[in-house]
Amino acid sequence: MKARKTLRIARWEVSKNAGQFDRRTVAVAAAVLLLVAVLTPLVASQGITLDDGIYRVGVAEDSPYYDPVAEDPTFVAVSPETENADVWIRSDGIRATDTQKGRAALAELRTTVESYNDRLMAAEADGSAAFPVEVSVEYVEQDRVGGGGASAPATRTPDEGEVGLGGSDGSGGDGSPGDESGTDASGDNSGTGDGDGQVGAPSVGSQGSLFGGGQQGTPSDVAPPFPFESLVLAFAFVLPMNFVIQAYASTILDERINDRGELLLVSPVSRGDIIAGKTLPYLLGMVAIASVTAVGIAVLTPAADGAVSIATTAGTSVLAVIPIALLFLASSFVGAMFARSFKELTFVTVTLSVFLTSYAFVPAIFTNVHPVASISPLTLVVRALRGTAVTLGEYAFSTGPLYLSSAVLFALGAGVYREEDMFTQRSVPLKFLDALNGQISGARSVAKLSALSIPFVFVGELLAVALLFALPVELSMPILLIAIAFVEEVAKSVHVYAGFAHARFARSLRSVGILGFLSGLGFFLGEKAVAVAQLVGLPDLELGRAAFGTVTGLGVETSPLVLAGLLFAPLALHAVTATTTAYGASRDRRWYAITLVWATLVHAAYNLTVVSHLG
Amino acid sequence: MDKRLTVAGRELASLRSEKTIVLAILIQLFVAAFSSFLAVGLVSLYDPGSVSNQFVVEFGVTGEDGEDLVPVLEAKDGWRAVEYDTEEAAMRDFRRGEIHAVLAVERGDDGRAHVWATAPDGNVRTTLVVTQIRDALEAFERHERDRLSSRLERTPVELPPDSSSSPYFGFTYTVLIPLLTFLPVFLSGSVAVDAIAEEYDRGTLELLRVTPLTPTDIVDGKMLAMGILAPVQAGAWLALLSFNGTQIANPVEILLLVTGLSLAVVTMGAATALAFRERKQSQFLFSMGVLVVFSATYLLPESPPNAVAKLAIGSPPTLTHAMVGVYLVISAVGFLALRRVVGRRGLGT
Repeated sequence: MKARKTLRIARWEVSKNAGQFDRRTVAVAAAVLLLVAVLTPLVASQGITLDDGIYRVGVAEDSPYYDPVAEDPTFVAVSPETENADVWIRSDGIRATDTQKGRAALAELRTTVESYNDRLMAAEADGSAAFPVEVSVEYVEQDRVGGGGASAPATRTPDEGEVGLGGSDGSGGDGSPGDESGTDASGDNSGTGDGDGQVGAPSVGSQGSLFGGGQQGTPSDVAPPFPFESLVLAFAFVLPMNFVIQAYASTILDERINDRGELLLVSPVSRGDIIAGKTLPYLLGMVAIASVTAVGIAVLTPAADGAVSIATTAGTSVLAVIPIALLFLASSFVGAMFARSFKELTFVTVTLSVFLTSYAFVPAIFTNVHPVASISPLTLVVRALRGTAVTLGEYAFSTGPLYLSSAVLFALGAGVYREEDMFTQRSVPLKFLDALNGQISGARSVAKLSALSIPFVFVGELLAVALLFALPVELSMPILLIAIAFVEEVAKSVHVYAGFAHARFARSLRSVGILGFLSGLGFFLGEKAVAVAQLVGLPDLELGRAAFGTVTGLGVETSPLVLAGLLFAPLALHAVTATTTAYGASRDRRWYAITLVWATLVHAAYNLTVVSHLG
Repeated sequence: MDKRLTVAGRELASLRSEKTIVLAILIQLFVAAFSSFLAVGLVSLYDPGSVSNQFVVEFGVTGEDGEDLVPVLEAKDGWRAVEYDTEEAAMRDFRRGEIHAVLAVERGDDGRAHVWATAPDGNVRTTLVVTQIRDALEAFERHERDRLSSRLERTPVELPPDSSSSPYFGFTYTVLIPLLTFLPVFLSGSVAVDAIAEEYDRGTLELLRVTPLTPTDIVDGKMLAMGILAPVQAGAWLALLSFNGTQIANPVEILLLVTGLSLAVVTMGAATALAFRERKQSQFLFSMGVLVVFSATYLLPESPPNAVAKLAIGSPPTLTHAMVGVYLVISAVGFLALRRVVGRRGLGT
């Protein structure tokens, strides 16, 4: 790869786009952007309310409940005489229809009345009678529940300053008392200060439970540590990426239509130069957008004062977002290399957008709640916005898999960036097999591909966990075990199948054995590498154990001999199942499917044994 | 008419042969499952009572005036109070995980009770316990307000009875159903852009123009194919949901609304593609435009997602029925305007 050539192609890419953007397009785009700028505050000021007027409450105008009902847009107040309501408030009591809707309306009414009472009380003169209870919440780590680790830390005494904070009295006045009773001032409490609650600017730094930041106020001010505002802000980083990859995927697909890419392919530049050159402007664009967003957010909602801290926050956010941008580009590159038409590309990019956004977004919801959050770089953004420091180890843990996945995807796409693949119309699965085949250069590369599939396997398994979450556990557990086994078996065998399909390997039992063993070995090594990273990065990730721990043998406490057995039992398992599927792959598609099912069942049975014996 | 059907049929056939439309269905399934995961997951974090009724939160109560709090806690099934003489003892048990939270109560000079609550940090229980702390202290607050009512000028409104309802119920109607009905609409619009931009890009429009099709026929056919997909998918979702036990109150009207929106969005897509021809620009402008139009509907007295929610849950006021009509008229006008323009100016060269 030569920098000069790459840069020249990047320049072409930019100037080609600039040429396409004639005055009319620019004018329309500017108008649309202007509209966005105007509309956003308008809509935001009105608030996005989804549940307006969904319940009807029959209430007389002289009832004390009339005001709370009328003030909450969720309810529509109707006459108490009407039959057509969900809840009736009459002199003889409150009655709801005996339906789910009636019960939901009643529950909603209860919370509405609660907050109405708080508003009512805020107007009282005697503040200490109106708000007779004042709360401050402290987050303190508990030791492992239910044994497990050594119980030595239990002797830790409570930290000084957690107990008997004192000094907070006589703060009369109305509303929530806002006296800082001096715990630690990290994490500026948003729930206190301003009258009754969190209106106005999104409060980023609320309830920082990670470092024991406290919060104080009336009981209704107590809120679980849910970093909602921060997440919305973090979302501002991911949304623009969805638009950029649309353009990027179009560019790549453009090269493949009517043999347009032929000219670049025959020129004296390498594939790497072309791809890097075409990608560079979009990556820079994404980084530029992310930088603007980051600086904007950091200035608007500073975690701490001073230009340096703003720069640090913005810098950390951008660094955390770059791997997401890379993964977006890498996967849409592969999508554009595989797609046959614009329509297909749209389906592919939308799918990618949905999956990648939820992969980045969902774990970040559990920031401060569960260590699983650290698999998403957005968690780093959320924490940076709150003024929490991010260590290098955490950065590596969150972003490493994304960098690796992007590299693998780009390599996969680059493998088919050649004449015989670019300009032919084949279905996406066949293209995928071609791309895999392009990466195989001998028996040993099979092991390498198996190992490189690990990040994708983990993403797949996490998605399976998420999808099956809603089912009852008796049903979800077996399905989950089978799904996980299936994902892993596919990852170990699909490139072997690609190799056989392209007649790269001899269809003999000997090569089946060698390929099966190597594929199993590669997967095993990759899995162990991840297990080590898991041990370093997430010492107490419990969720992962059910999904991944069984095969890694992590977190299981038993004698060294059994542990050694546990270490190598997975190797045997992976080798055996991979050989099974390799045999099927060497025959034909039907055989491959059959052996895949068989291997999945064996694998699931093994996992089940491990889970039930050691879990 | 049948000429247009032929064009529409060809579009649908190309979608079918590529089979990637399966991905679109898959996304919707994923979104549905995932938002349920989020809702159930978050709801169970927020309001554990709705998911696990057996879970009993054990509060360690300590401090000088702890005994005032104990009867409030004992009054509810899901709460249990464990009294401690010293805060150290309570914290020790808390760290061992024997109690879920510590509440230290002490009264100030003005009679106000100060509660220092300790919640577990950084585990799944945090949210659950914090919610319970809030509920318990709100009950305590009500109790105290009652006691001090002589000092208050206004009387708090008595709370309606507690009802065991799943918060998931509201979510299904206000988020899930609008999401599932509108997602296909946006996808259809996006694919309509592709269907037209592709003809320009590959130069196949020339071939279409030598057939006895008028430009309006071509555009009509392409829009018909895409416009029909969204209502079909939305209908399938509604059927699936009601099969699954979610009652949908006004399915026909919802489908009418979706059809109207689908027509409007597909018209937008087709218009953008006809005006800009290149996929890159058209897709970008289209998606931005849809974003603008859709967020602008929130400024209306009733936004489409809210209308769908009201229709589905079964409490649409007259306004909702009127809005459905308005949306249908607006999209029909837009569609007819586009046809006129295409009829007059053709498809360009």
